[in-house]
Amino acid sequence: MNQNLDSSYSNERSQERRQIIETLKAPIIQMGKNVLGIEVTENYDQGAGPIDVLWTFKPGSEALPDIRIGFVCLSPITTEDYSESLVNEIIIKSMMNLIDKLVIVVPSENMTKKISDSIESMPNNSFLQLRKYVTVLTPSTLVPKTDILGPREKQNLQTLGRGEEEIE
Amino acid sequence: MARIEEPQYDKNLSNNNNNNNPSSSSSSFDFLANLEKTLSYSIEKDVDYGYGKIDVIWHISLHPSLPSSKFGFIKIQSQGNDQEWKDNQYSLKKIEEALGRGIRSGCDKVFLVADNEEMAKSISGRIEWLSSFGSIVRFDAVSTSISPNQKKPSGSIPSQERVPEGEKIRQEEMREKEEKFDKYNRPKGERGEKESEEEKLEIEIQLDENSRPLGQKSKEYDV
Repeated sequence: MNQNLDSSYSNERSQERRQIIETLKAPIIQMGKNVLGIEVTENYDQGAGPIDVLWTFKPGSEALPDIRIGFVCLSPITTEDYSESLVNEIIIKSMMNLIDKLVIVVPSENMTKKISDSIESMPNNSFLQLRKYVTVLTPSTLVPKTDILGPREKQNLQTLGRGEEEIE
Repeated sequence: MARIEEPQYDKNLSNNNNNNNPSSSSSSFDFLANLEKTLSYSIEKDVDYGYGKIDVIWHISLHPSLPSSKFGFIKIQSQGNDQEWKDNQYSLKKIEEALGRGIRSGCDKVFLVADNEEMAKSISGRIEWLSSFGSIVRFDAVSTSISPNQKKPSGSIPSQERVPEGEKIRQEEMREKEEKFDKYNRPKGERGEKESEEEKLEIEIQLDENSRPLGQKSKEYDV
């Protein structure tokens, strides 16, 4: 009886996780489809395990190689549940799957910080500089913020405004 | 620096022979520690640099002017997973995780310690296969798998090394086959009419045997 309850609970949990991952995947797939020259593949797998979403950028010339950006989505985990083994596995899996750049998509900013800190803390003398390979972000970071300007754009606008005043 | 002594090595190996069950996992690391004594390398046990536990690390300094190399040994555990024991191979997830742990911990070489030789072979084979697609890191150059009772490398040996004169052997076989084919496949007119019934039957059988592709040889006749 208890076993049945446990299995149904774990089934529910895994279904819930799958749903969360699907919602995390949706904007990435949509964005990829909107960008010209990008081919989107779901659950890409060369044998090392599935990569949730793959963007293949085809530079337009046959002489240039395709650039593969892999997105792996993580379902929410508590700080107690978080373990480095999860990150270890994702990184090796994506390297073996010939991914050129890996993006780990997490549901919260909290998790972003935890994972990027762990990747940044890798020794500088290691032959593998993962900070060059892995990016960690939340889906909200991916969505273009049309009304929010970066510091450079702000500066450009200010200088433009001054120029117009001078002309007047 | 002290070199490895063969008798000592064999003794260490024989001490760990037939340790094919998970309960004997600790002995695999005794074997590594014993080996270390004969080699006079510095050793660290149960190290965690923040990326997961490495069971044993050897710091090998080959020359004072060269930086020391770090060899990490990670025990892969099946944790009561019956399927892994039945299949005699660990899940890919486990292998990838252990590999990532060693590399992220700054190990120059990562050795995955398996429960038995068959499992070690399976791990090495999978790493080699996955690295053969052309990934940026040849993981098979960084990592391999060993088992406590192992006496030779678990990686696959290239056919050129395994059969150095393979090409010659193949050519000889082909020549023999062609000779037989020529002998028994002569046109009917050329065949001597002196051939007895027995000889004719044998010719028919040989012709049938040698004209077929390798995989389709008949097993009905015993000549």
